Amino acid sequence: MATLIEAKNLKKYFPSPRGTVHAVDDVSFTIDEGTTMGLVGESGCGKSTLGRCLVHLHESTDGQMFFDGKDATHLEKEALKEFRANNQFIFQDPYSSLNPRRTVKDTVMEPLQLSGKYNRRQLEIECIRLMDLVGIEKRLRLSYPHELDGGRRQRVGIARALALNPRFIVCDEPVSALDVSIQAQVLNLLMDLQDEYGLTYMFVTHDLSVVRHISDTICVMYLGQMVEKTTSKELFANQLHPYTKALLSAILSTDIHHPTKRILLKGEITSPINPPPGCRFAARCNYATEQCKQPLTLEEVKPGHFVSCCRVREINNL
Amino acid sequence: MADNKICDFLSVRDLEVEYSSGGEVIHAVNGVSFDVESGKTLGLVGETGAGKTTIAKSILRILPDHATKAVRGQIFYKGQDLLAMPLDEMRPFRGSQISMIFQDPMTALNPTKVVADQISEGLVLHQGLDKAAARVEANKMLEMVGISSDRADEYPHQFSGGMKQRVVIAIALACNPLLLIADEPTTALDVTIQAQVLDLIADLKAKLNTAMILITHDLGVVADQCDSVAIVYAGQIVESGSKEQIFDHPTHPYTIGLFGSLPDISKDVDRLSPVEGLPPDPTNLPAGCKFHPRCPKATEACAQGEIPNKELAPGHFCRCINI
Repeated sequence: MATLIEAKNLKKYFPSPRGTVHAVDDVSFTIDEGTTMGLVGESGCGKSTLGRCLVHLHESTDGQMFFDGKDATHLEKEALKEFRANNQFIFQDPYSSLNPRRTVKDTVMEPLQLSGKYNRRQLEIECIRLMDLVGIEKRLRLSYPHELDGGRRQRVGIARALALNPRFIVCDEPVSALDVSIQAQVLNLLMDLQDEYGLTYMFVTHDLSVVRHISDTICVMYLGQMVEKTTSKELFANQLHPYTKALLSAILSTDIHHPTKRILLKGEITSPINPPPGCRFAARCNYATEQCKQPLTLEEVKPGHFVSCCRVREINNL
Repeated sequence: MADNKICDFLSVRDLEVEYSSGGEVIHAVNGVSFDVESGKTLGLVGETGAGKTTIAKSILRILPDHATKAVRGQIFYKGQDLLAMPLDEMRPFRGSQISMIFQDPMTALNPTKVVADQISEGLVLHQGLDKAAARVEANKMLEMVGISSDRADEYPHQFSGGMKQRVVIAIALACNPLLLIADEPTTALDVTIQAQVLDLIADLKAKLNTAMILITHDLGVVADQCDSVAIVYAGQIVESGSKEQIFDHPTHPYTIGLFGSLPDISKDVDRLSPVEGLPPDPTNLPAGCKFHPRCPKATEACAQGEIPNKELAPGHFCRCINI
């Protein structure tokens, strides 16, 4: 399978009065066409920022990005417009990401109008096709967002993202604001669309059960850095990084006869402002030693399984 | 569960709550009955708008006055009907014997008061402590929930989400309540922090022998914390029983749908089997079974009359005629 998305040493820093926020700090990965990469981590770890950088909603501070083999790090005007048609974004909160003063039709049609490829009649037809595709009834085309429930609003966001036939979509927690039964409907829809159009997704979420369900590969992020990266199957069978282990143990299973043994972490996520060198997770890690203060990189511990932890072999008896 | 005998601790019987909104009547709770035994935890599970929070607020009688049209039924707490009491007599129960952890720690705290004062408030009101003694207690509570008492004079915005939720828990537990109502206590938190908070609640509950009503939409949280479970749909309890009964033998089509909607971490499932459609409009509930328009097993009979609450096994009730 061909690589569609590639990030090389991508960084995004934000200035703040108290110092530089290292939101995304030297992250590299690839996503193959037609697959889904899950990006997991807690609030504030930089996963949304990374997603936004990939579609040029933020401009990265340093590093390179490639789309379909071509450098897409710095784009302007026409090139950016073309890039955006291929790279779309589904927002987390369907309550705040839609313009409350525009109807469903206006919202779905906007990207089509901007593309300039459709006349008025074609716009109508295309709009109805998109609404049908994501399962919004035709009668709702003149409704405003406040008249729709959360699941339908998210479908509007999906229809809009699909309007220009993109190849890559960043889904930023697309189901976390929805009820479980609606969440499942939307997940099924995203998977059906992927099958039908060969879409490539980056699925940003904090919900590990969702990520297992939808992803081919998974990257775990902590404070702006990747701590573990491998296939979904391998990650759930043999997680190697202490943070991933704690994260997975914190998922509450509905299997009441085999409760998971929770690994409790000390304290909370530390500040991303001017972080010290070395492992950023060390402050909360049960295995941390002096050694962890040394700078470290992602290393291939097993074929296709990358971990950033200096004690990984010791902890896992590898 | 829904029999006439009332439980020694908390029994809710035939609770109905109606709100009015723009001239329409919203049927939020439609005949809910359940029991909670002393020291035990009941999980109220359901989706947004099912009426879970309204049930909780009815117990404390903190429903919004302007919107509440009618509250009917009985809520017996240690044999006394809380709903029938004059509000003056009811008030001493709030915060001291029955207290609540609110869903969103970001909005549940007063942004203009330091956290110690917010914890002492109940102690001064209900336990008659003077300010200095209440302050000492407040510091103890903070330490108990894992926050250093050095931070007692800080304002809510100086704390992270998980710590704010700990402060809310400290406030709720300050007067050693006998009944704790926790409304989605971990929904706003990250998983690793959720694990810390759930462990904390379980520890404190065991220490103080507090009973709990845990409101959640997360079946994983229920599996972790509860002794018994009630599944709420459109203001009714459609299935109830012990945790084992509900998780091992889910029977109501809605309960089965809820389990089917969850991507389970321990299993590989290709496609989720969610409940199709949407919850009904509470201003215009369907006749008969409230779930029948979405139910894969619905027959014509489902749209007619009251659906009886059948007892499938001792303590396991299900409101469905096709099982």
